[in-house]
This record gives sequence, structure tokens and C-alpha cells, in this order.
Amino acid sequence: MTDAKTLAYINMYAVLGAIENLCELDEKASELVKTKKPVSIGLEVKGGPSATLFFKNGRCRMEQGTQNCDVLLPFSTPEKFNAMVDGTGSALPSKGFSKIMFLLKKFIPLTDLLSKYLRATEEDLKDDKFFEISTKLMFYVITVALSQIGNNDEIGKFSASFIPDGIIDVSIKDCVGATIRVKDHHMVTIKQKPEAYRSQMEFDNIRLARDLFDGKVNSIACIGEGTIAMHGQINMIDNVNRILDRVALYLA
Amino acid sequence: MSFPVYKHDKSTELFNRATKVIPSGIYGHLGPAEGQFIPVAKWPMFAEKAKGTYVWDVDGNKYIDYMCAYGPNVLGYCDPDVDAAAMKQIALGNCTTQPGKVMLECAELLVDTVNTADWAFFAKNGNDATQGAIMCARAYTHRKKVIMFHGYYHGVSPWCQKIDYPGVLPEDVANNIMLPWNDIPLLEKTIEENKNQIACIIAQPYDHGNFHDNAFPEKGFWQKVREICTKNDIVLIIDDVRAGFRLDLAGSDHYFGFEADLICFCKALANGYNMSAICGKDFLKNAMSSLAYTGSYWLSAVPFAACITNINKMKELDVPKMFKEKGEKLCNGLVKAGAEHGFNLIASGPAALFYLRIANDDSMLLHQEWIAEMVARGIFLASHHNHFINAALSDKDIKHTIDVAEEAFGIVAKNHPELFR
Repeated sequence: MTDAKTLAYINMYAVLGAIENLCELDEKASELVKTKKPVSIGLEVKGGPSATLFFKNGRCRMEQGTQNCDVLLPFSTPEKFNAMVDGTGSALPSKGFSKIMFLLKKFIPLTDLLSKYLRATEEDLKDDKFFEISTKLMFYVITVALSQIGNNDEIGKFSASFIPDGIIDVSIKDCVGATIRVKDHHMVTIKQKPEAYRSQMEFDNIRLARDLFDGKVNSIACIGEGTIAMHGQINMIDNVNRILDRVALYLA
Repeated sequence: MSFPVYKHDKSTELFNRATKVIPSGIYGHLGPAEGQFIPVAKWPMFAEKAKGTYVWDVDGNKYIDYMCAYGPNVLGYCDPDVDAAAMKQIALGNCTTQPGKVMLECAELLVDTVNTADWAFFAKNGNDATQGAIMCARAYTHRKKVIMFHGYYHGVSPWCQKIDYPGVLPEDVANNIMLPWNDIPLLEKTIEENKNQIACIIAQPYDHGNFHDNAFPEKGFWQKVREICTKNDIVLIIDDVRAGFRLDLAGSDHYFGFEADLICFCKALANGYNMSAICGKDFLKNAMSSLAYTGSYWLSAVPFAACITNINKMKELDVPKMFKEKGEKLCNGLVKAGAEHGFNLIASGPAALFYLRIANDDSMLLHQEWIAEMVARGIFLASHHNHFINAALSDKDIKHTIDVAEEAFGIVAKNHPELFR
């Protein structure tokens, strides 16, 4: 019911893409990747996604493609890339051996920290700051994964084929927001709240969002209770929710 | 004049109780999610009682109900004649080992009433009827594929849901072919590419899908589809569950000037008593007989008694004519009220099943806001779905609805000064 290539797109843009946000939200992460000179790590999956993480002044941004990277990690299949992200496989750089220490001493601990936030234990979540960062990161992973599934997964593409053009606002009230832009049934997630939208799904608070992400509450009941608000072209939200079901499947 | 704005404290309390013991609290089309209660605080969750065209919620608020339980309320809630027939039958027996003779009388009445009917087969819900019709078509043709048109809704069986719906397998929908309305060349090409594999075409009589203006098919469309089905031995099924009897008592195929092979009814059949029916042509009777298709309550007598009285009363009242007149009067008034406040309210579909949309923006936000102000003042409408006229709706109710609409449009206009700068 899932395919390795779609998972590779999710792992690249949603999971590793969340390193951008991790460096903004967590001072330790930011300190970890502070270097005298900028460093960039490219990840290239044969027949799949490719992107580069640029590190500069303790911040990170992701761009598509690997043309300008210092270190390149190539993967011959989506499965091998997914295994690396999952921690069950490894990667060898094909260029940038001089930056190998950054890879070992900075990048790997950074991804370990990301995993700690994304696979948080109940104990970790008792810390309010950890809870907030963890939930915001999950929010970004989920909203970016939505577009990757809508563009790559066969059933996800079917759902996207019913989404009319426009901007969807997915937000946690007074906390974080994401823009999902749909054009000709192609979806793009931008990790900031839109100024205007054609449809909106808003979670009332971060605790509720967390419970939804963890499957502890029922979203339909939440709509009835008013803790999830929907507005605008509901057929956009309706089909996004169908893709959301598949996010859980891929990220489980 | 200012109309009071309702509160829903008891509804909220009951809904919170319901979520503890019922999945989603209220699931399906009557619930706040699928029913698009936007924002939820403006909507009632539970009804206390209903009479005629009115519903009272558990907080004591009275509504003119234009959703009519999503169609079953055709003569008016608790219609005295239909209820009397049902009560008379319940004293005689309802769910019994042998069906009551009212079943036969009901079938005879449907055969006399519905243009295409040589026989009638009974079940409970619309979904039972569409499912039975598909099985009948497959049994008759020994083929497996089904053609449907965009925006379709034929019930909730896995085959008529979509591949991305929870609990639906790719295999469940593997034999479905979805085509656009009005594209005869594509229909012909599809049939040619699937030669001797198409069991049936199933379609609503017109596009009454949600979230978009409802539209009749192009002139001649149905006649051409009929011709193609006959030529290719494809069973033509009309899903008249929603529109049935509101356009034409002889069936919506009759309204559009063609004959279906099978036609499915439910909502307006028995004024709220639970039953559905498939009516069909003689050549499909043996195939229908061959199906292993039945249910514990399908032949219960009370709904048949209600159905007989309901159909006879619909005939006496000529409800299609009545609904057209009432619907047009209402829609014209609403559109005019909207225009006076600068809103382009579009009423589409047949007046008996009117669909509303404010077209000033493409987001539905204004429309949802207006609908919410209407509901909060006792006019029960939906923002996403067509509405239904019933025979108990009076001219006074229509005038009251338009008066409330004027106030609601005024409120929305006041909330959005940017629209009218």
C-alpha cells in the first residue's frame, strides 16, 4: 500500500527538510552546525529526489538538486536512501571527502537530534519546550509529506486529481502554519502561513494538534466539538484529508 | 426587523456525550463534519421534534428545514395521512415471517406510477437499491465493468466509494470507469475499448453533485446514452434516490424523455419510513430474482403502508408542479435579496432541489458565512449540498425565509466592507 519512491520523496523533503526548522527552533542544533565556512551536503537518489542542505551561520536551508554541494551522498535506489534515513542503512560520499568530519561530527548528530524530536517518548514530551519543538517539527513534516504523497503516490495522486487550484491554509492557531499551493493538481507546501486562502483547516491549539498527530483523538469528532475549524472550498480540505490518511501510513 | 440568534447549549452538551459512545458523535451526512457545520457553534446537533416543514432542536429553537432529512421529508414531517396509514399497519403487524399484502399493493402502485417499471424490488436504503441494481446488471450481462459520471454519489458500498476512501480496496473499485457528463464521443470510445465488458451505466438523472452548481445534461444526451446502451447490451440504471418523485412522479428518466432499464428510489418514497425500491423492465426480472439479496427488515409492512399513502397523496397534490412553483418563488426571492446587498447568489438545478452558491468569491467563505447566519436565525440550509422542497412549506414560510435572508445578507455585507468599496 506504500511505495519506496514516494517514501524517498517524503524522507528527503519532509523529514530531512525539517532540519531547516530544527536549526531555527533548537539552539543546540544551531550551535552544532555553526562552522567557520558554509558547508553543503547533497543527497541524490537515483530515479528519485535530490536536494542539498546548505549550512551557514548555524542555519540551514534546503534546495532541490545537488549541483552546488560540497559533499555528495549518492543512493542507487530509493530503498537504500530510505534505509539511511531510517537508521538501518549507511551512506558513503562520492565527493567532498575533506568535509567528512562535518558529516560525522555535525550532520549525523543533527539527524539524531531530529529523530529524537520526531520519535519523541512520553517522558521527553513532559518538557514543555521539547513538546513545542517536537510538535512544530511534526507539523512541518506532515504538511510537506502531504504534497509529496499528492504528487508521487498513486492513490495520493488520485486524491490530488480532485483538488481544485488554490491555496490551502493548514495551521495550528497562534502557533504555526503552512501553505499548500495546488495548481493543475500538483501540490507544493510552503512552510509558512498564507496571507489569503481558498480553504482552511485550523487546529485550535498545539496540544490538540499533538493528540491528532499521535492518533489519540478523532478528527471528525474534533470538527463537531469545534476544535478543528474548516472554512472555504471544503472539497480541497476533504481530499487533503484523504492524503493525510496516507501520511500516517508512510510515516508510521 | 431583527431575528433572534439561536444558541445551542443542549446540543453541544449532547454532542459531547455522544462522542464518548458513538464514533464521531454524529457520523455521516447528518453530522457536523460531513454536514459542513461551519462554524459549528451556529448549528443544532440534535432534533427534539418535527412537524410539517419545521424542526425544533433540543434547545427549543424552531427551524424551517430545507434539507428535509436530506430528502425523505416530502409531504411534511409527521404527515397525518401517512402516519395514520403506518399506525394502522403497525397494529396489524410489521416485521413478520410472511410479508404483509401491502408489499404487493405497494409494488402494484409503483408499477402503475413509474414509467419504466414492470416490477418492483424492495430494500431499505438508497445504497441497497443501487447495489442491487448493479448486481442485477452484472447477473444479466455476465460482465463486470460499471460506467459512472463525474460527481457521482451512488451510496456507501465499497464499489461506489473511491480508491482513496478509508476501508476501500483498489480491488473494490477496479471495475469502475468514471467519465465526464455530456461527452458522447468519449463514452462511445470507452465502450469500444471495453467491448463486451461493460455491464451497466449508472447515473443520477442530472449532475447534482456537491460543491458545485447543479446542472442538467445537454439536450439529447440521455437519448443518445439510451441508444448506445441498447446497441451494446448495456443496462442503463438511473439512480433516482435523491431526485426521485420531486421532478416527475413517473421517474426522472421520464422527466428527461427516455426510459431507464432499472431505476432506484428511496428518499421521497415513504415520507421518512425506511424503505427503498428498484423498479425495472421485464427483461431484467429473472436476473433480479436470481440474486442472493435480502435483509431482515426489507419486507416490513409499515413502510409499505406509508409508501402507498405517500405516493397517492403526492399524486393528488401533484408535488412536482407544486415543488417547482414553491422552489422558484423561494429561489427568486433569495436571489433578489442577495442582489439588494450586492451578492451574486446563484440558484442552480431544478427548483424542487435547488442548490445555492454566493459567487462573489471562489472560496465559498462568503457563502458559508451567509448560510451560518441563516441557520442561526432558524432557516436550515446547507452550504455544500442541494436543498429539498416539501409539500408543507407555505408561502408564509417562504416569505419568512426571504426576510431572514435579507437580514443575513446585510450582516455578511457589514462584515465585509472591503467587498463594496
